[in-house]
Amino acid sequence: MPDLRPILLVEDNPRDLELTLAALAKCQLANDIVVARDGAEALDYLYERGTYEGRDPGNPAVVLLDLKLPKVDGLQVLETIKKDPMQKQIPVVMLTSSREESDVLSSYENGVNAFVVKPVDFNVFFEAIQDLGMFWAVLNEPPPRGQNGR
Amino acid sequence: MNGPTEAQIDNCAAEPIRIPGGIQPHGALLVVDPDTRKLLQASANAQALLGDDLASGTLVALDAETTQWISDRDAPSLLQSIAVNGNSFTVSGHHMPQGAVLEFELIDGSEARSLEQVFPKLQTFADEILPLGDPRELGAAVADQVRAITGFNRVMIYSFDPEWHGTVMAQSSDGVLPNYLDLRFPATDIPAQARALYALSPLRMIPDADYVPVPLVPVMSPVDGQPLELSYASLRSVSPVHLQYMRNMGTWASMSISIVVEGKLWGLISCHSEGPRRVPPQVRAACNFVAKIFSLQISAIERGAHAAQRIQLKRRETELVARLSRADAMAEELERNPDAWLALANASGAAIITEEEIRTAGDTPGRDSLIRLAAFLESQGKDRFETDRLSTLWPEGSAVADTASGILAVSISQLYGSYVIWFRPEVVRTVTWGGDPRKSQDAGERLTPRTSFAQWKEELHERAVPWTAAEVESADDFRNALINFVLRRAEERAEMTEELERSNKELESFSYSVSHDLRAPFRHIVGYAELLTAREDSLDDKSQHYLRSIIDAALSAGRLVDDLLNFSQLGRTNLEKTRVDMNKLVNEVRHSLEQDLVDRQIDWQVANLPPAWGDGALIRQALANLVENAVKYSRDRTPAVIQIGGESVKGHTTYWVRDNGAGFEMEYVHKLFGVFQRLHRMEDFAGTGIGLALTKRIVNRHCGTIKAEGAVNKGATFTFSLPEGGKKSDHA
Repeated sequence: MPDLRPILLVEDNPRDLELTLAALAKCQLANDIVVARDGAEALDYLYERGTYEGRDPGNPAVVLLDLKLPKVDGLQVLETIKKDPMQKQIPVVMLTSSREESDVLSSYENGVNAFVVKPVDFNVFFEAIQDLGMFWAVLNEPPPRGQNGR
Repeated sequence: MNGPTEAQIDNCAAEPIRIPGGIQPHGALLVVDPDTRKLLQASANAQALLGDDLASGTLVALDAETTQWISDRDAPSLLQSIAVNGNSFTVSGHHMPQGAVLEFELIDGSEARSLEQVFPKLQTFADEILPLGDPRELGAAVADQVRAITGFNRVMIYSFDPEWHGTVMAQSSDGVLPNYLDLRFPATDIPAQARALYALSPLRMIPDADYVPVPLVPVMSPVDGQPLELSYASLRSVSPVHLQYMRNMGTWASMSISIVVEGKLWGLISCHSEGPRRVPPQVRAACNFVAKIFSLQISAIERGAHAAQRIQLKRRETELVARLSRADAMAEELERNPDAWLALANASGAAIITEEEIRTAGDTPGRDSLIRLAAFLESQGKDRFETDRLSTLWPEGSAVADTASGILAVSISQLYGSYVIWFRPEVVRTVTWGGDPRKSQDAGERLTPRTSFAQWKEELHERAVPWTAAEVESADDFRNALINFVLRRAEERAEMTEELERSNKELESFSYSVSHDLRAPFRHIVGYAELLTAREDSLDDKSQHYLRSIIDAALSAGRLVDDLLNFSQLGRTNLEKTRVDMNKLVNEVRHSLEQDLVDRQIDWQVANLPPAWGDGALIRQALANLVENAVKYSRDRTPAVIQIGGESVKGHTTYWVRDNGAGFEMEYVHKLFGVFQRLHRMEDFAGTGIGLALTKRIVNRHCGTIKAEGAVNKGATFTFSLPEGGKKSDHA
């Protein structure tokens, strides 16, 4: 029985957001999709504070994280997640327009689970998002609940 | 034929000339204890000359002044008249660790009279020689003067060259003794230790070459048990070799006075007479005075000449350096100003040898000789090197003696054998020696002075006019200027590099922002267009076509951005070089293309390829680009023939990709590898026009080469060659 925890999508660009949501919708996933518009909001969700205070408890199934974000950027969010023993098990997929080596390198150094350069070709982009969504939200077996504290 | 070498010199050098154990008989010598005033040593003739009072050790015969002088160890040397035992003496004295040394010489009446005439003469002499600016003229005046006040038959002014050979540069003679003017005497005639003694004690006299030395009693000093140190004693007995030398020369009396210029023995005033001749101490003092004036004059002349030449050379140097500083290329600018360059050292040829180039002016040895000369100079390891006889130091120099007998070289780089060298040609000179210098000493016989003074002419070959001190200093100055110049250039280059790095950084951040900001809108356009297409099934054909075109245009723009980024990243990333299996690589590339080849008929002719050395991913990209091109441009052929081959030759592996496709006009081949250069219309063959530029950049980063050959409708061949085994460094 797949775990139906939500997917946390962190994306500030409205068009990318819309296109990503369209791609995810195409996969017909049953998971909820929570959208955070910047890094700070994402952390609020993860730590159940601010507007997300009192949300349904539990870590998301996967975080789809844009690299370039206002306020707290993607790398910082990644770092925070991976440094926190309570959260480091959450799969994080970095999404970016950049193919800069330094970004890829920093992401991997910070323990990113996957790194996707958003393809220009929408069909390829669709496929990528679908694959990611399917893999992390449906196919990936998360660690037992007791072990990551929730 | 060269002059006598150092090895031939100095059989006499071992002689104890400072402690001969005796004196000449024309005076008497006493050594007195300055504290007790007791007599320590006396010459054996002292009693006869000075009387019992002195010889018995009581010293009562000495006047108060002399006695006082004895007690004062710090007193300057003594010279005065004294009456002892009813006779007039000149007493001279100097203090030594072994005691106060007093020397007595008899004065006769005629000498006293001549003394009175000496001093007015000296006055006139000093006035007369002051304006003389030529050393030879000055020397002649000095020789005349010394002969006039001493009465010797011949007075020669003898000047040393750097090898201590002496030349008679002036002479005053009454004709009794042979004329030695302009003759040259070998360094062996005056051994090194004699020269050292000359510099120490400027005047010595031998009134009679046949004298019998008078021993000291006791022979050893009671103070330290050593023989008496007679360096400063004018009565000091001389070497029997020297006496024999005098008799061989036919002179029975001699006197020589050292000319010391700037602390260095410059020459001698050498006086001879056919018969015995004694010069009283006061006259000798006058001669010393003349020699001093001469020394000062020579010093002034040499300084003046040096300064004049320095000023002249400095002016030339300043002009040349000013021109160099405005020029882009130092060596080239030197070559453009040959006269100024040569004039800097009054040379007939000049060369600058650097790691990159050799440039010359005037008469110089050939290029190959210059390279070997630079290697020789490097082996010498000096900042400056000069000689007027190169071939004696560098045997190969004989072959280039006509242009390079003399060289003056300065090193202009610490790292590489870079030099500026000035050249002077061989000037064959005839030197007349006072006797064959080769026969001056016979190896087996000890202490045998040469016997022949017959003139012997020697022709000097492979010698150049020596470099003057001013020229050498000029070269040094020029060296400093060049080094500053080179340093400044290096700084400028460093600045430029900084500037480049800065603009590289800017480009980098530009490409970074392009990758984010430009790719995104294209992605969005494509995405929304696709969404629209999926949503509106009912769109008419025209609308469908428009949408398709929007998607295609945005896609190709996005690809262009991707390619550009690829290209710019290539210059920044490091190469990971390994051995690359090219056969495997070709298979992979073919495999990746398969999708596009479903309805194509291609005859692949792939040979067995040698492995390459390089970055696997990049080489794969380079090869893939070429194979894709071959596939693309041969699409109108059935079958398309694509040949891939390679070979390993002389440290390089070469690969080629050949097709029978559309080809290109060779006229435009140079445009092929440029960024965005396309030789075909967009609708004929798609592509961003970066593929080949990228391929070339990859090959270049591997220090390899790439070329293309082709003909319209006959196909194209791309050939690239990579160095083997990672021997060459990676030029980023």
